[in-house]
Amino acid sequence: MIAALRSWKALGTSVHVLATEADALAPASTAVREVLEDVDRAYSRFREDSELSRLNATPGRTVRVSPLLATAIGAAQRAARLTDGAVDPTIGHAIRVAGYDEDFSLVAAKGPQQEVKLRAWRVPGWQAIRFDPQSRTVLLPAGVELDLGSTGKALAADLAARTALAAAGVGGVLVSLGGDIAMAGTPPSGGWRIRIAEDSRVSPDADGEVICLPAGGVATSSTTIRRWMRGAAVLHHIIDPQTSLPATGPFRTVTVAAATCLDANIASTAAIVRGEAAIDWLLSCHLPARLVENDGTIHYIGRWPDPSGLAA
Amino acid sequence: MNSLTPTQRDRGLERLRRLTFGATAGALVAVVGVGYVAAASYAGKSSTNASATAANTTTSTTTTDSSSNSSSSSSSSSLQAAPQAPTTGSSGSGTVTSGGS
Repeated sequence: MIAALRSWKALGTSVHVLATEADALAPASTAVREVLEDVDRAYSRFREDSELSRLNATPGRTVRVSPLLATAIGAAQRAARLTDGAVDPTIGHAIRVAGYDEDFSLVAAKGPQQEVKLRAWRVPGWQAIRFDPQSRTVLLPAGVELDLGSTGKALAADLAARTALAAAGVGGVLVSLGGDIAMAGTPPSGGWRIRIAEDSRVSPDADGEVICLPAGGVATSSTTIRRWMRGAAVLHHIIDPQTSLPATGPFRTVTVAAATCLDANIASTAAIVRGEAAIDWLLSCHLPARLVENDGTIHYIGRWPDPSGLAA
Repeated sequence: MNSLTPTQRDRGLERLRRLTFGATAGALVAVVGVGYVAAASYAGKSSTNASATAANTTTSTTTTDSSSNSSSSSSSSSLQAAPQAPTTGSSGSGTVTSGGS
């Protein structure tokens, strides 16, 4: 039985903290807030005073970064390596050119009257980052700009869940950052119930598919949310590093369950970018997944439960 | 049938030894060569167990603070599956929504 839930806004998205023990909710929530404040200071792209903004502003110089930013950069490089570059942190310039250069509420508000000039070019690539995890030093060559948004939010969910559990000291906790979900500790009987939707703002009580998981992470990537218009073009935030433009594959929404929220997010984002090759790739990764085609057709991959009992 | 002289027999045995050595050496070269070509042609496929082992032996990318807690996931050499697969949501509690944001 779940004792408590607390919700608020942070990192430009919604935060939900659940705890199995009533007394654990307050310390768990406090711990999550502190982690998210650290994350915002370390790698927000929309704060001029964040470590990441300062790093992006100093190309060609070796910079020693905090342990948290080093972890985030290491996670982003690992994501790029494991996805053959489908999830690449060097899309920073590309996503700014596409118009996503400030908090999303402001990006969407500008609307189609603001034009952008888009052209296809390949992003610099994660191999261009000179990063030494031991000394925590980073050198970005000129023209390389990092965006840790994709992996960064999922990593934050994992860190927040673990820190919250340590603060709670008992039971289990679940942290959701805009639909990227991390679990830690002892789950409720039967596991945590997770409603699967295209939009994380959909009520958990709404009709639809629900799964149960006792541990790990779940992440959903979608091209239907965080969209904006520039001129006649409809744009979204999942950039294909091969073209530096929003991905245009056959899948609009992908949800993946994995050992961590970070790995789930890496797989779901890569699946959107990989397009038709995503199903075979997810099968080779042994990750259960749910993919929604642009026409609404749903594919259940691996050990993802198929409501109709006809899993792929 | 003529019987062989000791000299002829020794030459015959020597010839046999050379043939045996040559065949063995040739077979070894063929095994190594074909193995190399096969290894270079097909990189192989890692199993889940192999990935898990690799994950357990890699080192952390950080040394201090809460970020070090993520070391196992941020440094493992493959994407890691959850310990248990998801099930349909007829049991469990504490529903939240996973969706795009």
